[in-house]
Amino acid sequence: MKQVKQKTFMLLLLMLTIVLVVSACSGNNSKTNNNPEPTKDSAATEEEPPASDLKPYKISLVYPGTPQTDEKKVEEALNKLLTEKINATIDLMPIDWGAWDDKINLMIASHEEVDIIFTAQWNGHANNVSKGAFLELGDLIDQYGKGIVDSLDPAFLEGAKINGKNYGIPTNKELAAAGGIVYRKDVTDELGIDMSNVKTPQDLDAVYAVVKAKRPDLTPLYTTAGVFNSHFFANYDFLGDSTIPGAILKDEAGTTVTSIEKIERYKQYLNLTRDYFKKGYINADAATTQVSSGDAWKAGTVFSTVEPMKPGKDAEIASASGLTGKLAQIIMTEKTVATSETAGSMLGISSTSKDPARAMMLINLLHTDKEINNLLNFGIEGEHYTRNGEIITATDSTANYNPGSAWMFGNQFLNYVWDTEDPDKWAKFKEFNQNAKVSPALGFVFNSEPVKAEVGALANVIRQYQRALETGSVDVDKILAEYEAKLKDAGVDKVIAEKQKQFDEFLASK
Amino acid sequence: MEAVEKISSGSNPKNQLSIPASLGINVFFIIYSLLCIIPLVLIVMVSISDEGTVVREGYQFIPSKLDLAAYQFLFKDATQIIRSYSISILVTIVGTTLSLIIMALYAYPISRADFPHAKFFTFFVFFTMLFSGGLVPWYLVYVQVLDLKDTLLALIMPLLVAAFFVLIIRTFFQTTIPAAVLESAKIDGAGELTIFAKIVLPLSLPVLATVALFQTLTYWNDWFLSLVFITKDGNITVQYLMYKTMLNIQFLANNSTAAAAITAAGGTFKFPSETVRMAMVVVGIGPIIFAYPFFQKYFVKGLTVGAVKG
Amino acid sequence: MAEQTSKALTTAYFPKIKARKTSHLLIFRKYWMFYVMMLPAIVLLVFNNYIPMFGIIIAFKSINYADGILGSAWNGLTNFEYLFKTSDAWIITRNTLLYNSGFIILNLIFPLAFAIMLNEIRSRFVAKLHQTIMFLPYFLSMVVISYLVFGFMSDEHGYLNSSLLPALGLEKVNWYFTQEVWPYVLPIVNTWKSMGYFTVIYMAAIIGIDDEYYEAATIDGASKWKQMTSITIPLIMPVITIMTLLQIGKIFNADFGLFFQVPRESGVLFPVTNVIDTYVYRTFLTVGDIGLSSAAGLLQSVVGFTLVFLSNWVVRRINKDNALF
Repeated sequence: MKQVKQKTFMLLLLMLTIVLVVSACSGNNSKTNNNPEPTKDSAATEEEPPASDLKPYKISLVYPGTPQTDEKKVEEALNKLLTEKINATIDLMPIDWGAWDDKINLMIASHEEVDIIFTAQWNGHANNVSKGAFLELGDLIDQYGKGIVDSLDPAFLEGAKINGKNYGIPTNKELAAAGGIVYRKDVTDELGIDMSNVKTPQDLDAVYAVVKAKRPDLTPLYTTAGVFNSHFFANYDFLGDSTIPGAILKDEAGTTVTSIEKIERYKQYLNLTRDYFKKGYINADAATTQVSSGDAWKAGTVFSTVEPMKPGKDAEIASASGLTGKLAQIIMTEKTVATSETAGSMLGISSTSKDPARAMMLINLLHTDKEINNLLNFGIEGEHYTRNGEIITATDSTANYNPGSAWMFGNQFLNYVWDTEDPDKWAKFKEFNQNAKVSPALGFVFNSEPVKAEVGALANVIRQYQRALETGSVDVDKILAEYEAKLKDAGVDKVIAEKQKQFDEFLASK
Repeated sequence: MEAVEKISSGSNPKNQLSIPASLGINVFFIIYSLLCIIPLVLIVMVSISDEGTVVREGYQFIPSKLDLAAYQFLFKDATQIIRSYSISILVTIVGTTLSLIIMALYAYPISRADFPHAKFFTFFVFFTMLFSGGLVPWYLVYVQVLDLKDTLLALIMPLLVAAFFVLIIRTFFQTTIPAAVLESAKIDGAGELTIFAKIVLPLSLPVLATVALFQTLTYWNDWFLSLVFITKDGNITVQYLMYKTMLNIQFLANNSTAAAAITAAGGTFKFPSETVRMAMVVVGIGPIIFAYPFFQKYFVKGLTVGAVKG
Repeated sequence: MAEQTSKALTTAYFPKIKARKTSHLLIFRKYWMFYVMMLPAIVLLVFNNYIPMFGIIIAFKSINYADGILGSAWNGLTNFEYLFKTSDAWIITRNTLLYNSGFIILNLIFPLAFAIMLNEIRSRFVAKLHQTIMFLPYFLSMVVISYLVFGFMSDEHGYLNSSLLPALGLEKVNWYFTQEVWPYVLPIVNTWKSMGYFTVIYMAAIIGIDDEYYEAATIDGASKWKQMTSITIPLIMPVITIMTLLQIGKIFNADFGLFFQVPRESGVLFPVTNVIDTYVYRTFLTVGDIGLSSAAGLLQSVVGFTLVFLSNWVVRRINKDNALF
C-alpha cells in the first residue's frame, strides 16, 4: 500500500517537473507573428516600387511614453492610411520613461526584431551606434527619404552625423536654442516692477529683492539643477554627451576644448548663483528636492524659473500648470545651433529590422504627410479633438489618446495647434530658427571608448559636486577647488586631451 | 490551533516573566510598534491631502485640506487596476505554492548527513547566491532559449528557487527533526518520500510558514519581472503598475541631462503629484498586509513531536 | 543531551556508505529518490542561474551587440580599471564593508532580542499584534522610505527643521548636507525596515525548541536570563550561524535602494553614502557599457565568496555541524 502511494507521489513529482520544463520550452503560443513574408532588404540599387508591388509588412515603432488607452483605435486608423500608401501596418510600442533605458538595452542585446526606435544624442545614441544597434541611413534617405531632405533644414542632418554618417533622422522642430527666464507677469504687474530693462541675469537681482520682500510666499527663483550654468543658458557645447567633461562655447568661435570649471563664464555664474542663494532668492532644497519645477509652478509657489527658450514657452508652462495668461518670458542669450539640438530627438532604424526600406518610407511620411502625422500625435479627429482650420480643441476623450510626443515624430511644422497655444506658433518657430549662431562643433560627436575608465570615475565625481555647486548651495571658492582637484585625480585631463584630439581631426576633415 | 503552549512545573509554574519585566517589555513594544505604524499613517494622510497644500507645507499628519483627488485619479483606469490585481494574486498564489514544494523537496536531501552528495548539492545552490552572469544573459535565456516573453510563467519562474530560503529550510530540517523519529520510520519500512511528507513536513511548520510568508511577499512586491518581460496587453502586476510612475519620476530626477533635453525638445511631463504617489503606495500594499496574520497561525510547534517522544 | 544535535544522531543512525572507492552508482541506487526530489529545483537553477552565468565573460570584453556576446572582442582587465582609478575606490570599499558589517551585527542582536522578548509576552494576541505591525515597514519600497525620510529631514518643510528643533529652541540644520549624521541614519532606516523580517526567522527557530528543556530548567530554578543563555541561544545557533554566513557572502553588495534613494543623490554626502553599487550605477548612467557593471559584479562575487569560504572554514573548526558546507 505504502509502495503504491509512494510510487504515485513520485510519478506526480516527475510529471510536475516535465510539465514545468515542457511549458517553459514551448513558450508562449499566443505570440503574434509580425511578418508573414518579410520583404528582402536590397535597398541599394532598387527603384522605389509602387505600393501595389510591396508585400504587407508590420512596422514597429518603439518610443518612450505612457501607453495610451485608445492605442488600438489609432493604430487601426493609421493602418488604413498606411496600407493605401505603402502597404504597411503599424505597431505602436510605447515604453515608460522609467523603464526605457533598461528595456532598450535588453532589446538591443537580445536582437529583438523591431523597426524604428527613438534615439537621441543625450540618450546614448553614439554609444548604441558604436555597438551596431542602428543602420546607416545614407542610401535609404536617398531612395525613400526625399520628403525628409526637402523639409529638413540641412543643419539637422549635418548636425546629427556620427563619423560623417547618419544613423537617425532628426525631428523637424525648433533648431535654435536660447536660454532665458519665465516669470509671473501678474506678480510684476501687481508690484509695479518694470521688466523691460531686464536683459541679463544680473538685472534680476533688483527684481528678486522686491519679490522676496513683498511676496514671501513665492520663491523668486526655483531650480533643481544648473540655473545659469545650465548648458542651454550658458551656451556650453559638450561635443556630444554633456555628462563628459570638456566643452567649448557655442556662441563663440574658439575651438579649444576646456573643462568648464576653467571657463570664466562658469565661475561668474557660479558666484552669481551663490549670491542669489545666500540672499534667499533660490529654494533652499535646490540640491536635494525632487519636486519638479512643473509641480512647483502648479502649486503656485514659484515666481520664476530658468528655462530653455523657444517661442511660446511661457504659454506652454502656463497651460501645464493652470496659470494661463499669467506668465511671460525673457530671452537672455544668443540663439545658437549645436549638436544637442539637432540630435536631440531622432528616429533610428534598428539593425534587426526586416524591412528597413519600409521603415524609412514611414519616417518619410511622418515628415510629409499631414494626416498621418497628426493622427499619430493627436488621435482621431472628431473623437480625440475637434478641429477648426489649424486649431484643435480638446474633447472629453482627449485623455484617452494624448501621448504628448509630437517632438519625436517627423515634422512638427505639420502639427495642428491646440487652442491653448499661440496660433502662430509654427510661423514664430520658423522665424526663431533663422539667424542663429552655429556652434563650431556642429556635427561632431565624441567617442568615449578610449577613455572609458576615466569617464566612469569622473561620472561619480561630477555627481558628487555639480548639483550642489551649480544651485548655489555651497561655498564656491572652497568647493570649486576641491572639485577641480578631484576631477584631476580622476583623469579629466586625459579625457579633455582625447576630446580635443578627436575634435581637431573632425575640424580638419571638414 | 493554539499557539506556543507554556509549560508548568516548579517554583515558577508557568515559567513566566516577573510583572515588572513583563510590563517593561510590553511598553517597549508599544513604543516600537508606534514607530512602525506612524510612517504608514503619514502615507495614508498625505494620500488624502490636497496637492497644493502638500507642496507648500510638506507632509503633515493633519493636513489643512483634504482631497480624494489622488484616488479618483488612480481609479479612473479601474479596469487596468483590477486586471493587475488579478495577475498579482494569481502569480503570488501559484508562485508561492510551487516554490515552497520545490524548495522543500530540495532542502530535505541536503539536510540528511548520511547522503554523500549533500555537500555538493548544498554548494550547487549556494553558488548561485553569489555569482551571476548579469541582467543581459539572464534575459537572453528567458527570451531566446525558453521563449517566455509576455507570459505569466516569466513572472513566476525566476523567483521559484531562492537559495537563501533553501538553505534556511535545510538548517531547520537539520535541527528540528529528531533522528530517532527518522529511524523509527525507516524501521517501519517507510520510503524517503513518505518520511518527507508524513514526518518532516508536519514537524517543520514554523519554517515552512516563514518561507511561505516571505515568498508571498517576494512575489507580491516584485515589479522588475513585469518591467522586463511584459510588453503588451497590460498583463503587469499591480506593483509595477504603481511603481511605473515612481520609476518615471526617478528617471527624471536622476537624469537631469535627459530631463533638460526632453524639455528643450518640447516634451512636457504630466506627473502625478506627491499625493498620487502616496496613494499608489497604499494601493500597492493593500491586501498584502493581511499576509502576515494569515501565516501566523502556522507558527506553531510540530504536531507529532509529543507522539514520538511518548 | 543538549549538545548532541540531530545531525550527529542522524549520522549515527544512517551511516554513510563505506567503501574503498565510494561507488557513485551505489549511491545513486540507494538514494535515487533524493535525486527525483531535487530534480525540479535543479532544472530551475540550471536555466535561471547556471546557463546565464556564461555572461561573466562580459566583464572581460568590449561588448558590441552586432557581434553578440560571444563574438565581441576581449579586452582583458580594462573594464575593471574605473573601479580603482581614484581615491573613491578606497572610500566606496570602506563604506560598503563598514555599513554591511554593522548591518550584520544589528540584524543579529535586535531581531534576536525581539524574538526572545516577544516569546515572553503573556498574551498571545498582543504578541501577534506586535509582530504584524513590526513587519509593516518591510512592505515599503526604498523609494517610499526616501520620501518619508525627506519628509522628516528636509530643509524647508521637514518635521525636524520646522517642528521639532524650533520647539527645542535649536537652530535648523541642513541635514542633507551634513555628513556626520548619515552613518547613523542609514543603519537606523535599514534596521527599522528589516526588523520584522529577521525577527520572524528567529521566532520560527525558537518555537522549534523542545519544551522539555525549559521544563527541566524551571525545575532547577533557572532564571529567565540563564534559560536564554544556556538553552535558547545555543539551540538556535545553527540558524544564527547560517544567517550570518549568508550575509557575509553578500558583504560586498549593498542595498542599492538604501544608499541611492534615501540620501537623495546629495553629492555632499557621497563620502559617507557612496558604496560600490551606487558608484557602479552612476558610472553606468554615463557610460552605458555593461562590461563595466559586469566587472564590478564579478569583483563583488569573488570577494564575497572568498570571505564566506574563510568564515565557513572558521565555523567548521568550532562546530562542524553548523557549517554551511
